[in-house]
Amino acid sequence: MSSGHKKRNFQIEAFKHKVVVDPKYAEKTWKILDHAIHEIYNHNASGLSFEELYRNAYNMVLHKFGEKLYSGLVSTMTLHLQTMSKSIESAHGGLFLEELNTKWSDHNKALQMIRDILMYMDRTFIPSTHKTPVHELGLNLWRDNVIHSDKIQTRLLNTLLELILRERMGEVINRGLMRNIIKMLMDLGPSVYQDDFEKPFLEVSADFYRAESQEFIECSDCGDYLKKAERRLNEEIERVSHYLDAKSEAKITNVVEKEMVANHMLRLVHMDNSGLVKMLLDDKLEDLGRMYTLFKRVPIGLPTIRDVLTSHIRNTGKQLVTDPEKSKNPVEFVEALLDKKDKYDKIIASSFSNDKTFQNALSSSFEYFINLNPRSPEYISLFVDDKLRKGLKGVKEEDIEIMLDKVMMLFRYLQEKDVFEKYYKQHLAKRLLSGKTVSDDAERSLIVKLKTECGYQFTSKLEGMFTDMKTSQDTMQGFYSAHGGDLASGPTLVVQVLTTGSWPTQSSISCNLPSELLTLCEKFRSYYLGTHTGRRLSWQTNMGTADLRATFGNGQKYELNVSTYQMCVLMLFNNSDCLSYREIEQATEIISSDLKRCLQSLACVKGKNVLRKEPMSKEIGEDDVFSVNDKFTSKLRKVKIGTVVAQKESEPEKQETRQRVEEDRKPQIEAAVVRIMKSRRVLDHNNIIAEVTKQLQPRFLANPSEIKKRIESLIERDFLERDNVDRRLYRYLA
Amino acid sequence: MMGVQKDRVKFNVGGRIFETTATTLANAGRNSLFGAMFDENWNLQSNPATTAAATEHFIDRNPDCFSILLDLLRTGELHIPTNIPEKLLYKEALFYGLSDHVRTARWGPFDGNRLHLARSVHGRAPGDGTAIRAGPDGGCCVAHGSMVHVYDWTLEEHPPINLDYQRVNDAIWVDSDNIVISACERLGRDEGGMGLFSTSNGELRYKFHVAHENQAKSYTGGALSFNQDYKLFSSCKGRSNEYGIGVWDQVTGNQVDFFYEPPGWSLGEADKLQWLHGTNCLLVATLFPRKDNCYIGLLDFRDKSMVWSWSDIGARITDERRVRDAIAMEETNSICVVNEYEDLGFMDLRRAGSIVRWSSRSRLMKGKMPDEPCYPKLALHEGQLFSSMNDSVSVFAGPDWVLTSRLRNSYGGSICDFSIGGDRLFALHSDENVFDIWETRAHSIV
Repeated sequence: MSSGHKKRNFQIEAFKHKVVVDPKYAEKTWKILDHAIHEIYNHNASGLSFEELYRNAYNMVLHKFGEKLYSGLVSTMTLHLQTMSKSIESAHGGLFLEELNTKWSDHNKALQMIRDILMYMDRTFIPSTHKTPVHELGLNLWRDNVIHSDKIQTRLLNTLLELILRERMGEVINRGLMRNIIKMLMDLGPSVYQDDFEKPFLEVSADFYRAESQEFIECSDCGDYLKKAERRLNEEIERVSHYLDAKSEAKITNVVEKEMVANHMLRLVHMDNSGLVKMLLDDKLEDLGRMYTLFKRVPIGLPTIRDVLTSHIRNTGKQLVTDPEKSKNPVEFVEALLDKKDKYDKIIASSFSNDKTFQNALSSSFEYFINLNPRSPEYISLFVDDKLRKGLKGVKEEDIEIMLDKVMMLFRYLQEKDVFEKYYKQHLAKRLLSGKTVSDDAERSLIVKLKTECGYQFTSKLEGMFTDMKTSQDTMQGFYSAHGGDLASGPTLVVQVLTTGSWPTQSSISCNLPSELLTLCEKFRSYYLGTHTGRRLSWQTNMGTADLRATFGNGQKYELNVSTYQMCVLMLFNNSDCLSYREIEQATEIISSDLKRCLQSLACVKGKNVLRKEPMSKEIGEDDVFSVNDKFTSKLRKVKIGTVVAQKESEPEKQETRQRVEEDRKPQIEAAVVRIMKSRRVLDHNNIIAEVTKQLQPRFLANPSEIKKRIESLIERDFLERDNVDRRLYRYLA
Repeated sequence: MMGVQKDRVKFNVGGRIFETTATTLANAGRNSLFGAMFDENWNLQSNPATTAAATEHFIDRNPDCFSILLDLLRTGELHIPTNIPEKLLYKEALFYGLSDHVRTARWGPFDGNRLHLARSVHGRAPGDGTAIRAGPDGGCCVAHGSMVHVYDWTLEEHPPINLDYQRVNDAIWVDSDNIVISACERLGRDEGGMGLFSTSNGELRYKFHVAHENQAKSYTGGALSFNQDYKLFSSCKGRSNEYGIGVWDQVTGNQVDFFYEPPGWSLGEADKLQWLHGTNCLLVATLFPRKDNCYIGLLDFRDKSMVWSWSDIGARITDERRVRDAIAMEETNSICVVNEYEDLGFMDLRRAGSIVRWSSRSRLMKGKMPDEPCYPKLALHEGQLFSSMNDSVSVFAGPDWVLTSRLRNSYGGSICDFSIGGDRLFALHSDENVFDIWETRAHSIV
């Protein structure tokens, strides 16, 4: 302390002096402050001088009476709070909370004023002695003397719980008062709020909702129950926002979720006539959405829905694909599949918020049941065939795209994609060769989609077919410009040159063409081979068509659109009026099954019967005799005579296709085995099966026994060998 | 004009009349005498019988100081005439609840290049100082032998701190109310170690104990550091070779972890600990001359591993290459070290087996060594690097750490330690028991 401080020392001296003179200084000063605190609690503060009180409190601290000031404050405040407590206790019935609220706000106001007076103590004495600051002290004393007093604690809790119960039963309660009281508990610290209110509140709520949900579930159907649960949940959320701690929201909703949803989940889902299956059947989108949002809130809620959904889709799907009625018409079959997919897509989109796991469940279910019917690949291809032949007339381009996308989605579910490819090739070939395809764009669009899905290899042959069609057009132009003059009088020949391998060529048992055509064909052959050396041409007479002009007995002229076989048969009647089956067979050398079908379509189809058959029966017999039907009439000048051919494959054809598919799979399996063994060198049987299956998955599901056979074949051909010690191991031989 | 009338407030302070406005007084904030006085609870303004201006509020205080503080509320600036002792003003500010206003007006935000020597304080303690540590609020503490002297921002000395009168090794401010000090153990007795003390009254609040295999051990506490999760770290030297880094929960005082010194390394006698927030690692540096070699390592307590380390073991060591202090600079992922001649060196924290890149900048200093040299110390503050050497502190800045300022006080001899905190730099001298306070001047609004 330096000399410049004398003036100040003198000032402080004055106070010290006073202390010495008046030994009761501290007592007197405290009396003033004590009295002021009384006046503040008695709403009588207007006569007090803030400056004087502040100075007195300051002086007490300055003169080391901080301890006395603090303990005096504690006892005076305790006294007042005990009085308040009595007054609250004696409040009757509904006035209890009102009184508590009033006294709480009185205490708060008094506390603020006391803190103002004692500000200096709060700032200096309290931190250095690590005592509780005045505000916090005031709250603690209120908690201990009022809230935790015997006659208030239980009554307060019961009153609050009672009011909430009444509100749950539909009564209107004083939410403002509730908010104030709850806010008070929160102000007293999180532990007071939790122990004195929240925990019991949650317990009582659990009991309430346990009982209520039991009652509801006995007398409501699933949809109604869910509505009630949702309403209760929203009520609780609203209650929290009105007068509870925001942190309670998760806890109370948890209680409602557990009692009203989680505990009854299975029962709700499986309710007869209103459960999940019923909702799915009736497309109850709103109810389903409600179930989803409620179940989502509880553990294993969504898996519960998903499991039921999955098994329902699988069961109904299985019924659909194994229904023999549906299988009769491939187009309807596929349409039913698409409708089913649309239905569930819509449900998942609008009720299950496009949940990924639900989408996956839907996909896996479709994958499951589509492959239950081995003919699904064929039917899907037939569906496409139907659409691309006629179904797309007058349909907008976007709609075509949508349809194709849907087909692609079904295609994705197929395990035997190679079987689909086989059929698709056949059907495409027919469309292309008969010129029946309606939209080249749609055809190409689908090829592009298949290509993105399965890669270049899958579609290279299909694309080859399109190329062949284009090249053939050019070839024909070339042919006619080279031979134009000398061919003008005869029939017109249109040849489509098909690359072997790209097309689903069948055993090329050729038939005898009529002589008029034979020379023309020979001319074409020499023209073609002249321009393309080193190639071989063979006629696929089973795949062609012809337009014939025919004049019937009554002089009526018609243009007949027939197959090449039919053309061969009909041309025979230019020279004779009546021919037996055997004569026809001999002349044309068409194999009997084809010939029979061909004759059936010429003689047995009502309205298209350009031939007459003896005897008149539906079936073609070896001894039947045919003649031109002179009485043939038709409204149209152009008559298309289709071949009686099951659109669907017949059983033997199916077997044949199947066999070809199996045959095609062999090299693919072998290639996969070799690829894997080349990189692994040594692998045991189970692993190789697993890897091959995985590698071939995008095309087909390889049969383990078939893989085994292929491995054995590879061993025979010295690609692999068995390990000498462990016979389950295979080694790659470079 | 009516509005002005209502706003006017008249004070009689110690016999002198002051007039001001409620608006000016509002600058004092609610937690001040004025804030409380004009709160609606106290009803001081709205007496309908008299206008506010006519009511005179008497305050029994020094009018000169009131005038200064009123000007502070009016202008935000503090002007203390020479005839008013600073301490008196601080006491008056404390009465009105305006201490924080005075402190923030007293000096400005820290800038190493704009520092001026605000004061030098003479201590009472005999002997050389060990360490000086800046507190968060502008106060500081100085360790001398077995005592730690605590000063608040007004540089008023508080009751001193000791831990059984053992030699103090380090001190650290946990917050403005609490200091942890570490001290040597006294052989044969369970004393020394570490304790948490109140800065206002110097009382021990609790001790930090070390237990090994559930047995309490006595130990010597060394360098200290703490992190943002209230964990306190200290280098520990136990009696039966239990060396390593102890970790305590600052709130409960319980030991929560211990990183044992790996063989061939030094942790228990570390000179410096520094917590790195970004990487969640602790820098531990043991330096010459405490050990013959220097060891700098980065500890990751999560998997008890040393994630980065450097040592000069095996290197050909000349005095020029002796590392005397080290500091991690997280922003540049490097460690800065300093040698006896205040040459700075840098190491890359991202690479293991890093070598020191020395920047030989201060060759000029060589040959001018004072009789009692102090080893250089380093500090980092908001992108400025500080190093003490002899009687001055150098300030470096920029990506290449260019020397931008040098702080020197002609009195007191070499600087043995310095510390930055609470927008102040404290430098402790070794020859005389004196420390300097460097501040940035408060920004004038104009």
